[in-house]
Amino acid sequence: MSCSPFDLREYVLNELADSECRQVETHMKSCAACSDELERLRTTQAALLSLADEEIPQRIGFVSDRVFEPSTPRRWWAAFWGSSARLGFASAAMLSIAIVVSALTRPAPAPPAPIAAHQPDMARIEAQFERRLGEAVARAVAQAEARQEARTRHLLAATEARHNLEMKGIQLAVEQNLTVLERRYTRLRMDLASADFGGTR
Amino acid sequence: MIFRAVEDADLIRKARGGNVDAFNALISRWDKRVYNYLLRILGNREDALDLSQDVFLKAYQSLRKLEDPSRFAPWLFRIAHNEAYSLFRKRRPEADVDEIPDSVTGAGIAVAGHSVFPIELSLAVTSALGRLSPDQREAVVLKIYQGFKFEEMADVLDCPVSTVKSRLYTALDLLKAELAPVKTRGL
Repeated sequence: MSCSPFDLREYVLNELADSECRQVETHMKSCAACSDELERLRTTQAALLSLADEEIPQRIGFVSDRVFEPSTPRRWWAAFWGSSARLGFASAAMLSIAIVVSALTRPAPAPPAPIAAHQPDMARIEAQFERRLGEAVARAVAQAEARQEARTRHLLAATEARHNLEMKGIQLAVEQNLTVLERRYTRLRMDLASADFGGTR
Repeated sequence: MIFRAVEDADLIRKARGGNVDAFNALISRWDKRVYNYLLRILGNREDALDLSQDVFLKAYQSLRKLEDPSRFAPWLFRIAHNEAYSLFRKRRPEADVDEIPDSVTGAGIAVAGHSVFPIELSLAVTSALGRLSPDQREAVVLKIYQGFKFEEMADVLDCPVSTVKSRLYTALDLLKAELAPVKTRGL
Protein backbone atom coordinates (compact mmCIF):
# COMPACT_ATOMS: atom_id res chain seq x y z
CA MET A 1 0.00 0.00 0.00
CA SER A 2 1.52 3.31 -1.07
CA CYS A 3 1.66 6.27 1.33
CA SER A 4 2.21 8.79 -1.47
CA PRO A 5 0.04 11.95 -1.31
CA PHE A 6 -1.37 11.06 -4.76
CA ASP A 7 -1.94 7.82 -6.64
CA LEU A 8 1.39 6.74 -8.14
CA ARG A 9 -0.42 5.19 -11.13
CA GLU A 10 -1.88 8.60 -11.98
CA TYR A 11 1.60 10.08 -11.63
CA VAL A 12 3.10 7.54 -14.05
CA LEU A 13 0.19 7.98 -16.48
CA ASN A 14 0.62 11.80 -16.59
CA GLU A 15 -2.81 12.46 -15.12
CA LEU A 16 -1.63 14.67 -12.24
CA ALA A 17 -1.26 18.45 -12.27
CA ASP A 18 2.25 19.94 -12.04
CA SER A 19 1.87 20.90 -8.37
CA GLU A 20 0.68 17.37 -7.54
CA CYS A 21 3.63 15.87 -9.41
CA ARG A 22 6.03 18.01 -7.37
CA GLN A 23 4.46 16.75 -4.12
CA VAL A 24 4.88 13.15 -5.26
CA GLU A 25 8.52 13.80 -6.22
CA THR A 26 9.25 15.34 -2.83
CA HIS A 27 7.67 12.37 -1.11
CA MET A 28 9.79 9.97 -3.18
CA LYS A 29 12.99 11.40 -1.73
CA SER A 30 12.07 10.24 1.75
CA CYS A 31 10.07 7.04 1.13
CA ALA A 32 11.86 3.90 -0.08
CA ALA A 33 8.66 1.84 -0.34
CA CYS A 34 6.99 4.34 -2.67
CA SER A 35 10.21 4.66 -4.71
CA ASP A 36 10.22 0.89 -5.21
CA GLU A 37 6.55 0.94 -6.18
CA LEU A 38 7.18 3.77 -8.65
CA GLU A 39 10.09 1.87 -10.17
CA ARG A 40 7.89 -1.20 -10.67
CA LEU A 41 5.20 0.89 -12.33
CA ARG A 42 7.75 2.47 -14.65
CA THR A 43 9.21 -0.95 -15.50
CA THR A 44 5.72 -2.19 -16.34
CA GLN A 45 5.02 0.85 -18.51
CA ALA A 46 8.36 0.50 -20.31
CA ALA A 47 7.73 -3.21 -20.92
CA LEU A 48 4.30 -2.45 -22.40
CA LEU A 49 5.74 0.26 -24.64
CA SER A 50 8.35 -2.19 -25.95
CA LEU A 51 5.52 -3.69 -28.01
CA ALA A 52 5.83 -1.45 -31.07
CA ASP A 53 3.00 -0.42 -33.38
CA GLU A 54 2.69 -2.43 -36.59
CA GLU A 55 2.55 -0.96 -40.07
CA ILE A 56 -0.76 -1.46 -41.86
CA PRO A 57 -0.37 -4.39 -44.26
CA GLN A 58 -2.54 -2.67 -46.85
CA ARG A 59 -3.53 0.94 -47.51
CA ILE A 60 -6.93 1.94 -46.15
CA GLY A 61 -9.21 2.89 -49.06
CA PHE A 62 -9.61 6.58 -49.76
CA VAL A 63 -12.91 8.34 -50.43
CA SER A 64 -12.23 8.15 -54.16
CA ASP A 65 -11.86 4.35 -53.95
CA ARG A 66 -14.59 1.87 -54.76
CA VAL A 67 -15.06 0.89 -51.11
CA PHE A 68 -16.55 4.33 -50.38
CA GLU A 69 -19.14 4.06 -53.14
CA PRO A 70 -22.76 3.83 -51.97
CA SER A 71 -24.85 0.65 -52.35
CA THR A 72 -26.44 -0.17 -55.75
CA PRO A 73 -29.98 1.16 -54.95
CA ARG A 74 -28.55 4.36 -53.48
CA ARG A 75 -26.23 4.77 -56.48
CA TRP A 76 -29.14 4.27 -58.91
CA TRP A 77 -31.29 6.77 -57.02
CA ALA A 78 -28.48 9.34 -56.94
CA ALA A 79 -27.73 8.76 -60.63
CA PHE A 80 -31.40 9.20 -61.51
CA TRP A 81 -31.67 12.57 -59.78
CA GLY A 82 -28.25 13.58 -61.05
CA SER A 83 -29.01 12.83 -64.70
CA SER A 84 -30.74 15.64 -66.59
CA ALA A 85 -31.48 13.40 -69.59
CA ARG A 86 -33.25 10.80 -67.45
CA LEU A 87 -35.17 13.48 -65.60
CA GLY A 88 -36.21 15.06 -68.91
CA PHE A 89 -37.32 11.69 -70.23
CA ALA A 90 -39.28 10.96 -67.06
CA SER A 91 -40.97 14.38 -67.23
CA ALA A 92 -41.95 13.83 -70.87
CA ALA A 93 -43.28 10.36 -70.02
CA MET A 94 -45.34 11.72 -67.13
CA LEU A 95 -46.74 14.47 -69.35
CA SER A 96 -47.73 11.88 -71.97
CA ILE A 97 -49.39 9.70 -69.33
CA ALA A 98 -51.27 12.72 -68.00
CA ILE A 99 -52.55 13.54 -71.50
CA VAL A 100 -53.67 9.93 -72.08
CA VAL A 101 -55.38 9.72 -68.68
CA SER A 102 -57.04 13.05 -69.25
CA ALA A 103 -58.28 11.92 -72.66
CA LEU A 104 -59.68 8.65 -71.30
CA THR A 105 -61.43 10.17 -68.31
CA ARG A 106 -62.80 13.17 -70.22
CA PRO A 107 -66.60 13.39 -69.89
CA ALA A 108 -68.70 12.28 -72.84
CA PRO A 109 -68.72 14.82 -75.64
CA ALA A 110 -71.62 17.17 -75.76
CA PRO A 111 -74.20 16.62 -78.47
CA PRO A 112 -73.00 17.90 -81.82
CA ALA A 113 -73.42 21.59 -82.19
CA PRO A 114 -75.92 22.70 -84.67
CA ILE A 115 -73.36 24.82 -86.43
CA ALA A 116 -71.06 22.58 -88.50
CA ALA A 117 -68.54 25.34 -88.88
CA HIS A 118 -67.11 24.57 -85.34
CA GLN A 119 -65.75 21.13 -86.34
CA PRO A 120 -62.83 22.33 -88.51
CA ASP A 121 -61.84 24.72 -85.66
CA MET A 122 -61.49 21.80 -83.15
CA ALA A 123 -59.32 19.83 -85.57
CA ARG A 124 -57.10 22.81 -86.14
CA ILE A 125 -56.73 23.45 -82.39
CA GLU A 126 -55.78 19.81 -81.75
CA ALA A 127 -53.20 19.87 -84.54
CA GLN A 128 -51.76 23.11 -83.21
CA PHE A 129 -51.63 21.65 -79.67
CA GLU A 130 -49.80 18.54 -80.88
CA ARG A 131 -47.32 20.60 -82.83
CA ARG A 132 -46.58 22.82 -79.83
CA LEU A 133 -46.28 19.79 -77.54
CA GLY A 134 -43.82 18.18 -79.95
CA GLU A 135 -41.77 21.36 -80.09
CA ALA A 136 -41.74 21.69 -76.29
CA VAL A 137 -40.63 18.06 -75.81
CA ALA A 138 -37.92 18.41 -78.47
CA ARG A 139 -36.68 21.62 -76.82
CA ALA A 140 -36.63 19.98 -73.34
CA VAL A 141 -34.74 16.94 -74.65
CA ALA A 142 -32.19 19.16 -76.43
CA GLN A 143 -31.61 21.17 -73.24
CA ALA A 144 -31.28 17.99 -71.18
CA GLU A 145 -28.77 16.53 -73.61
CA ALA A 146 -26.71 19.71 -73.52
CA ARG A 147 -26.67 19.64 -69.71
CA GLN A 148 -25.72 15.95 -69.74
CA GLU A 149 -22.87 16.60 -72.14
CA ALA A 150 -21.49 19.38 -69.93
CA ARG A 151 -21.77 17.11 -66.91
CA THR A 152 -19.94 14.28 -68.71
CA ARG A 153 -17.12 16.67 -69.66
CA HIS A 154 -16.85 17.81 -66.04
CA LEU A 155 -16.83 14.22 -64.73
CA LEU A 156 -14.13 13.23 -67.21
CA ALA A 157 -11.94 16.12 -66.11
CA ALA A 158 -12.48 15.24 -62.41
CA THR A 159 -11.69 11.57 -63.03
CA GLU A 160 -8.51 12.46 -64.82
CA ALA A 161 -7.44 14.76 -61.99
CA ARG A 162 -8.18 12.05 -59.42
CA HIS A 163 -6.23 9.50 -61.43
CA ASN A 164 -3.23 11.84 -61.56
CA LEU A 165 -3.43 12.36 -57.80
CA GLU A 166 -3.51 8.62 -57.12
CA MET A 167 -0.59 8.02 -59.48
CA LYS A 168 1.39 10.66 -57.60
CA GLY A 169 0.57 8.90 -54.31
CA ILE A 170 1.74 5.54 -55.67
CA GLN A 171 4.92 7.12 -57.02
CA LEU A 172 5.62 8.70 -53.63
CA ALA A 173 5.07 5.37 -51.83
CA VAL A 174 7.44 3.60 -54.24
CA GLU A 175 10.08 6.28 -53.74
CA GLN A 176 9.77 6.00 -49.97
CA ASN A 177 10.09 2.21 -50.13
CA LEU A 178 13.17 2.55 -52.33
CA THR A 179 14.73 4.96 -49.85
CA VAL A 180 14.10 2.54 -46.98
CA LEU A 181 15.57 -0.34 -49.00
CA GLU A 182 18.62 1.74 -49.91
CA ARG A 183 19.16 2.59 -46.26
CA ARG A 184 18.85 -1.04 -45.22
CA TYR A 185 21.21 -2.11 -47.99
CA THR A 186 23.79 0.49 -46.96
CA ARG A 187 23.50 -0.53 -43.32
CA LEU A 188 23.89 -4.20 -44.26
CA ARG A 189 26.98 -3.43 -46.32
CA MET A 190 28.47 -1.49 -43.45
CA ASP A 191 27.72 -4.34 -41.04
CA LEU A 192 29.31 -6.82 -43.43
CA ALA A 193 32.34 -4.57 -43.90
CA SER A 194 32.82 -4.17 -40.16
CA ALA A 195 32.40 -7.96 -39.70
CA ASP A 196 35.11 -8.59 -42.32
CA PHE A 197 37.36 -6.06 -40.70
CA GLY A 198 36.92 -7.75 -37.28
CA GLY A 199 37.70 -11.17 -38.76
CA THR A 200 40.92 -10.17 -40.45
CA ARG A 201 42.28 -8.23 -37.51
CA MET B 1 -0.84 17.34 -29.93
CA ILE B 2 -2.68 20.68 -29.76
CA PHE B 3 -1.50 21.66 -33.24
CA ARG B 4 -2.60 18.29 -34.49
CA ALA B 5 -6.09 18.77 -32.99
CA VAL B 6 -6.30 22.20 -34.64
CA GLU B 7 -5.30 20.76 -38.01
CA ASP B 8 -7.76 17.88 -37.63
CA ALA B 9 -10.56 20.33 -36.90
CA ASP B 10 -9.61 22.27 -40.03
CA LEU B 11 -9.59 19.11 -42.15
CA ILE B 12 -12.96 18.06 -40.72
CA ARG B 13 -14.50 21.41 -41.63
CA LYS B 14 -13.17 21.08 -45.18
CA ALA B 15 -14.34 17.45 -45.45
CA ARG B 16 -17.81 18.47 -44.29
CA GLY B 17 -17.83 21.02 -47.08
CA GLY B 18 -17.31 18.21 -49.61
CA ASN B 19 -13.51 18.33 -49.85
CA VAL B 20 -12.59 14.68 -50.50
CA ASP B 21 -8.84 15.26 -50.18
CA ALA B 22 -9.33 16.63 -46.66
CA PHE B 23 -10.96 13.39 -45.53
CA ASN B 24 -8.26 11.36 -47.30
CA ALA B 25 -5.70 13.34 -45.30
CA LEU B 26 -7.57 12.43 -42.10
CA ILE B 27 -7.44 8.75 -43.10
CA SER B 28 -3.68 8.94 -43.72
CA ARG B 29 -3.22 10.62 -40.38
CA TRP B 30 -5.23 8.19 -38.24
CA ASP B 31 -5.24 4.83 -40.06
CA LYS B 32 -2.17 3.37 -38.32
CA ARG B 33 -3.43 4.25 -34.86
CA VAL B 34 -6.92 2.86 -35.51
CA TYR B 35 -5.46 -0.31 -37.04
CA ASN B 36 -3.13 -0.92 -34.08
CA TYR B 37 -5.92 -0.22 -31.57
CA LEU B 38 -8.14 -2.80 -33.30
CA LEU B 39 -5.27 -5.24 -33.68
CA ARG B 40 -4.51 -5.13 -29.96
CA ILE B 41 -8.09 -5.69 -28.86
CA LEU B 42 -9.02 -8.21 -31.58
CA GLY B 43 -5.69 -10.05 -31.86
CA ASN B 44 -6.21 -10.69 -35.58
CA ARG B 45 -4.60 -8.70 -38.41
CA GLU B 46 -7.22 -9.50 -41.03
CA ASP B 47 -10.12 -8.46 -38.78
CA ALA B 48 -8.24 -5.33 -37.71
CA LEU B 49 -7.67 -4.33 -41.34
CA ASP B 50 -11.28 -4.98 -42.40
CA LEU B 51 -12.69 -3.12 -39.43
CA SER B 52 -10.29 -0.19 -39.93
CA GLN B 53 -11.76 0.27 -43.39
CA ASP B 54 -15.31 0.08 -41.98
CA VAL B 55 -14.44 2.61 -39.28
CA PHE B 56 -13.32 5.23 -41.81
CA LEU B 57 -16.30 4.53 -44.05
CA LYS B 58 -18.70 5.06 -41.13
CA ALA B 59 -16.79 8.13 -40.00
CA TYR B 60 -17.13 9.60 -43.50
CA GLN B 61 -20.86 8.86 -43.63
CA SER B 62 -21.56 10.38 -40.22
CA LEU B 63 -19.01 13.20 -40.15
CA ARG B 64 -21.82 15.75 -39.92
CA LYS B 65 -22.96 14.19 -36.63
CA LEU B 66 -19.63 15.04 -34.96
CA GLU B 67 -20.64 18.00 -32.79
CA ASP B 68 -17.20 19.16 -31.70
CA PRO B 69 -14.43 18.72 -34.33
CA SER B 70 -11.78 19.06 -31.60
CA ARG B 71 -13.08 15.74 -30.14
CA PHE B 72 -12.46 13.87 -33.40
CA ALA B 73 -10.07 11.28 -31.91
CA PRO B 74 -12.39 9.97 -29.13
CA TRP B 75 -15.30 10.05 -31.62
CA LEU B 76 -13.32 8.01 -34.19
CA PHE B 77 -12.18 5.48 -31.59
CA ARG B 78 -15.77 5.23 -30.30
CA ILE B 79 -16.74 4.06 -33.80
CA ALA B 80 -13.82 1.61 -33.79
CA HIS B 81 -14.84 0.33 -30.34
CA ASN B 82 -18.44 -0.24 -31.52
CA GLU B 83 -17.24 -2.03 -34.65
CA ALA B 84 -14.98 -4.32 -32.62
CA TYR B 85 -17.71 -5.19 -30.13
CA SER B 86 -20.28 -5.86 -32.84
CA LEU B 87 -17.77 -8.25 -34.39
CA PHE B 88 -17.36 -9.95 -30.98
CA ARG B 89 -21.13 -10.34 -30.73
CA LYS B 90 -21.44 -11.60 -34.29
CA ARG B 91 -18.80 -14.25 -33.69
CA ARG B 92 -20.15 -15.32 -30.30
CA PRO B 93 -23.77 -14.07 -30.10
CA GLU B 94 -24.58 -16.23 -27.08
CA ALA B 95 -21.56 -15.14 -25.00
CA ASP B 96 -21.18 -12.14 -22.76
CA VAL B 97 -18.49 -9.88 -24.19
CA ASP B 98 -16.53 -10.14 -20.94
CA GLU B 99 -16.25 -13.90 -21.39
CA ILE B 100 -14.84 -13.84 -24.88
CA PRO B 101 -11.69 -15.94 -25.00
CA ASP B 102 -8.45 -14.33 -26.03
CA SER B 103 -6.67 -15.11 -29.22
CA VAL B 104 -3.54 -13.39 -28.04
CA THR B 105 -2.45 -15.60 -25.17
CA GLY B 106 1.03 -17.08 -25.20
CA ALA B 107 3.45 -18.93 -22.98
CA GLY B 108 4.43 -17.00 -19.84
CA ILE B 109 8.06 -15.94 -19.53
CA ALA B 110 9.61 -14.69 -16.31
CA VAL B 111 10.89 -11.17 -16.84
CA ALA B 112 11.76 -9.34 -13.65
CA GLY B 113 15.19 -9.94 -12.25
CA HIS B 114 16.48 -11.27 -15.58
CA SER B 115 17.81 -9.49 -18.61
CA VAL B 116 15.61 -10.47 -21.53
CA PHE B 117 15.97 -10.13 -25.27
CA PRO B 118 13.48 -7.86 -27.04
CA ILE B 119 11.63 -10.82 -28.54
CA GLU B 120 11.27 -12.40 -25.10
CA LEU B 121 10.01 -9.14 -23.68
CA SER B 122 7.47 -8.82 -26.50
CA LEU B 123 6.26 -12.34 -25.84
CA ALA B 124 6.02 -11.67 -22.12
CA VAL B 125 4.03 -8.48 -22.70
CA THR B 126 1.74 -10.15 -25.24
CA SER B 127 1.17 -13.00 -22.82
CA ALA B 128 0.46 -10.65 -19.90
CA LEU B 129 -1.98 -8.58 -22.00
CA GLY B 130 -3.67 -11.79 -23.11
CA ARG B 131 -4.47 -12.69 -19.51
CA LEU B 132 -6.46 -9.49 -18.97
CA SER B 133 -10.21 -9.32 -19.58
CA PRO B 134 -11.20 -7.60 -22.88
CA ASP B 135 -12.35 -4.49 -20.95
CA GLN B 136 -9.11 -4.25 -19.00
CA ARG B 137 -6.99 -4.80 -22.11
CA GLU B 138 -8.89 -2.12 -24.01
CA ALA B 139 -8.34 0.34 -21.16
CA VAL B 140 -4.58 -0.36 -21.28
CA VAL B 141 -4.50 -0.01 -25.07
CA LEU B 142 -6.34 3.33 -24.99
CA LYS B 143 -4.17 4.76 -22.20
CA ILE B 144 -0.69 3.33 -22.74
CA TYR B 145 -0.60 2.90 -26.52
CA GLN B 146 -3.01 5.61 -27.68
CA GLY B 147 -2.31 8.18 -24.96
CA PHE B 148 -5.92 9.19 -24.29
CA LYS B 149 -6.88 11.13 -21.16
CA PHE B 150 -9.36 9.54 -18.73
CA GLU B 151 -12.22 11.77 -19.96
CA GLU B 152 -11.53 10.84 -23.57
CA MET B 153 -11.41 7.15 -22.64
CA ALA B 154 -14.79 7.56 -20.94
CA ASP B 155 -16.15 8.99 -24.23
CA VAL B 156 -14.72 6.11 -26.26
CA LEU B 157 -15.99 3.43 -23.88
CA ASP B 158 -19.24 5.24 -23.04
CA CYS B 159 -18.83 4.74 -19.30
CA PRO B 160 -17.97 6.93 -16.26
CA VAL B 161 -14.38 8.00 -15.59
CA SER B 162 -14.49 6.01 -12.34
CA THR B 163 -15.13 2.80 -14.33
CA VAL B 164 -12.28 3.65 -16.69
CA LYS B 165 -9.91 4.13 -13.75
CA SER B 166 -11.07 0.94 -12.06
CA ARG B 167 -10.46 -1.16 -15.19
CA LEU B 168 -7.11 0.45 -15.89
CA TYR B 169 -5.78 0.22 -12.35
CA THR B 170 -6.81 -3.42 -11.97
CA ALA B 171 -5.11 -4.16 -15.29
CA LEU B 172 -1.96 -2.28 -14.27
CA ASP B 173 -1.76 -4.18 -10.99
CA LEU B 174 -2.04 -7.50 -12.84
CA LEU B 175 0.54 -6.46 -15.43
CA LYS B 176 2.90 -5.17 -12.77
CA ALA B 177 2.72 -8.46 -10.86
CA GLU B 178 3.70 -10.28 -14.04
CA LEU B 179 6.17 -7.89 -15.68
CA ALA B 180 7.73 -6.30 -12.59
CA PRO B 181 7.23 -8.59 -9.57
CA VAL B 182 8.53 -7.61 -6.16
CA LYS B 183 12.23 -8.43 -5.86
CA THR B 184 13.02 -11.05 -3.23
CA ARG B 185 15.67 -9.83 -0.83
CA GLY B 186 18.85 -11.89 -0.54
CA LEU B 187 18.40 -13.85 -3.78
